Amino acid sequence: MDAIFSSLDVTYFLLVSLGTIIGILFGAIPGMTATMAVAVCLPMTYALDLNHGLALLLGLYVGGISGGLVPAILINIPGTPSSITTTFDGYPMTKNGEPEKALKIGIASSLFGGLFSAAVLFYFAPTLADWAIKFSYVEKFLIILFALTVIASLCKSMLVGIFSGVLGIWVSLFGVYDMSKGGNGELRIIPEFMSTYLENGFSLLPLLIGLFGLSVIFDEAQKGVRDEPADNVKLTSGRRFQWSVFMGQFANLIRSSSIGTFVGMLPGVGGSAASVLAYSQTKNFSKDPGKFGTGHPAGVIASESSNNGLTGGALIPLLSLGIPGDSTTAVLIGAFTLQGIQVGPLFIGENRATWDIMMIGLVAANLIMFGVMYFAIRHIAKVITVPKYLLYPGIMMMCVVGAYAINSGIMFDVWTLFIFGLFGFLGTKLGLEIAPFIIGFILGPSAEVYFVKSLESFGTLTIFFTKSPIAVFLWVLIAISVGYSIYSTRKAKSHERHAGNGEAFAK
Amino acid sequence: MAAELIFNLSKETSKMKKIAVGLCFAVSTIAAGISDQAIAADSPLPSNVRVVIGSTSTGGDTYQVSAIVADALAQKLRINAKVDAVGPTAAFQAIAKSDDGSTIMLFHDQSYVGHLYGVRGFSDIFKEYKIGPTVAINPGDSFLVPTKSPYKTVDDLIQAAGHDKRIRVAIQPGGTSALGYTALKNAVSVRFPGKEGNVVAVNTGSQADKNQLLFDGNADVINGSVQANEQYTRLPADDQKAMRFVWITARKQTLEQANPEGLGQTSREQLLAFATPAASVTLDGTKDWAFDKEFFLIYNKDMKPEVVAALDKALAEIYAEGTIQATLKKSFFIPNFMPSAEAEKYLKEKNDETKKLIDKIR
Repeated sequence: MDAIFSSLDVTYFLLVSLGTIIGILFGAIPGMTATMAVAVCLPMTYALDLNHGLALLLGLYVGGISGGLVPAILINIPGTPSSITTTFDGYPMTKNGEPEKALKIGIASSLFGGLFSAAVLFYFAPTLADWAIKFSYVEKFLIILFALTVIASLCKSMLVGIFSGVLGIWVSLFGVYDMSKGGNGELRIIPEFMSTYLENGFSLLPLLIGLFGLSVIFDEAQKGVRDEPADNVKLTSGRRFQWSVFMGQFANLIRSSSIGTFVGMLPGVGGSAASVLAYSQTKNFSKDPGKFGTGHPAGVIASESSNNGLTGGALIPLLSLGIPGDSTTAVLIGAFTLQGIQVGPLFIGENRATWDIMMIGLVAANLIMFGVMYFAIRHIAKVITVPKYLLYPGIMMMCVVGAYAINSGIMFDVWTLFIFGLFGFLGTKLGLEIAPFIIGFILGPSAEVYFVKSLESFGTLTIFFTKSPIAVFLWVLIAISVGYSIYSTRKAKSHERHAGNGEAFAK
Repeated sequence: MAAELIFNLSKETSKMKKIAVGLCFAVSTIAAGISDQAIAADSPLPSNVRVVIGSTSTGGDTYQVSAIVADALAQKLRINAKVDAVGPTAAFQAIAKSDDGSTIMLFHDQSYVGHLYGVRGFSDIFKEYKIGPTVAINPGDSFLVPTKSPYKTVDDLIQAAGHDKRIRVAIQPGGTSALGYTALKNAVSVRFPGKEGNVVAVNTGSQADKNQLLFDGNADVINGSVQANEQYTRLPADDQKAMRFVWITARKQTLEQANPEGLGQTSREQLLAFATPAASVTLDGTKDWAFDKEFFLIYNKDMKPEVVAALDKALAEIYAEGTIQATLKKSFFIPNFMPSAEAEKYLKEKNDETKKLIDKIR
């Protein structure tokens, strides 16, 4: 107990606050991520003791994940890959004159998701870690397949959506089949002369901000730059934020936070899958699925509570098995390594004080994140009142800096940004669906590795159906997801037909 | 409880005073920093040095050794040294562009083992780059089986393969873990000629994936490390995650230099039971194969000689002072400084020996 009190000093909470604020800034700048924030600040922890170092890093982690909602809602550019689904309803809310409301919903949902996952981490970490190891290559592949099937429910046209998703997977496989993931080290799809640039394929973040950010700027450039604020929206022309918006959303909050925590604790599945799964499940369970994508608060709640649910989830395998749950906790483990502390199945039992201090830091980071963002939101939201001719060059500059910085100064990443900006601009005009493309791109490499490794390990395709009861259960979920997508598409078409007939009759 | 809080508050006040004093100290440090810049200007090294490493992980041994060495160099030469975990391909590309010492690379034996295995992105470092000094050894490279496994020792594994049992070894292809697999296969071929095909590699990536293969029963033995797996070896036998060491690849004389307390709850003496000669993996029927995973600096081929000499001199002084040894040993590394020329000759010989083994079993 003394060890806990001696570490919980003013400096500790100052470091959590500092980390959270820096993290929010990293998350809010397109192209910069929570992982980057933790990696940049990791060497600083060498000069601190473990608990103070962790205070800083946990703040960065929570802040970085949460900050991604700001650009996603205000300018339709996801600050982090896990906030892609926040753009689906967050940005339409901004266009409807409710940016402040959308941001506050997102922040409150983030707080709920963060605290929910922290509670799960605290009470169930070792038990859940034991359960998580029952997910072998086969089950992980099926979870990714499940996340991929939701593409169908996220797009306007199912066929085009599936095509876009498959295209995304194909593009994600450019380059070498990485030996560090157990691959054969051979170059695929691209010709040898391109290997200098594409040996490791296209980087995710330049591609992401190219598709979401630059393509919009190209579109605006085509229309001609005018003086009015972006999308001619006002800060509070729509309905103001009231806590009553969460009425009837408790199930959504619990389900989405649980999905975030669950996906977070499965190493190698990836954070983006969490928000995609949570968003699509909320849509599927909704009485008004048609409202999603038009500025429905439930969409923002699902996305943000799930991506913050990841934080506690990803710490479960890290602290119970010594295995990081996502890319950020993979960097976070460095703080332990630098201090010569082993993280493994006995870590919690042998380092009870550090464990308790970490939990306090995690809760504090979530509360500080909420305090900082909730009360600063009025000022942050003013971004959208900046005239386009000032806003867009600023965004473009941040995009270029972010793309260049993401892999420590690779110029090809800036070209990736422009290539996919142009691809997004032209693709949208041709009817291509960007969200399924990007989801395919993000999930493609993991799907490939787990599919190939399953076959290498078991040698037969039937293993995907017979491996375990979990695999069977996942197939049931996949079947329901696909079936429901087909049903809702037919239902929507039938509605359109009836509406069309009604109009014709009225005429 | 209240008394504890009051006590803590008074402690806080005193801490705030300390912070104020610290701020004054920081201001004076900045002033001193200006004179440090002047000292750095005398050194042939730039005042900002980027240490790229051949791993993308910040939780692994390469980052840990690099952080310790970079910190020591920064203090010694009064420069800024930043470790960048960029991975092998990007690291080699980065040093290929820098001959003034602003970017140097720190990596381990995989830098040449990758080339020997024909891994894409690895070239002959002895021809394409300049070899810098060695700095440390990680003696923790090891192989583990489930606690409930019928194979209790590495000899059991060799015997089983020799008697037509299929032994699946989870490794990362092209790395130092693959070298252990090759050595195991070679030992089977020496003791049971023609049976080496019974040792098969299960190629995988991270330590998490290797552990998972063991939990799933899809591998009989995995490559791991004392640092990453020691806690798993202390779990009760009925735990699905429980493992046991069967082989530590480091040389006996290297492991003997570790602190007597070893790592975690496993002492040096206990660890020595898994290294040669107690755990024997023969090279040729007469002597055992053992391998120290060594970390060393790699430079641009045309690195300025004065920069090479300055780094050699600085590291020689750092190791002579002796503080770095304690830091390295605390994290279960064995200090192993060898200046550039000596290191190049030594590593080239190691490369040639390793090549013979790989070529033999290919």
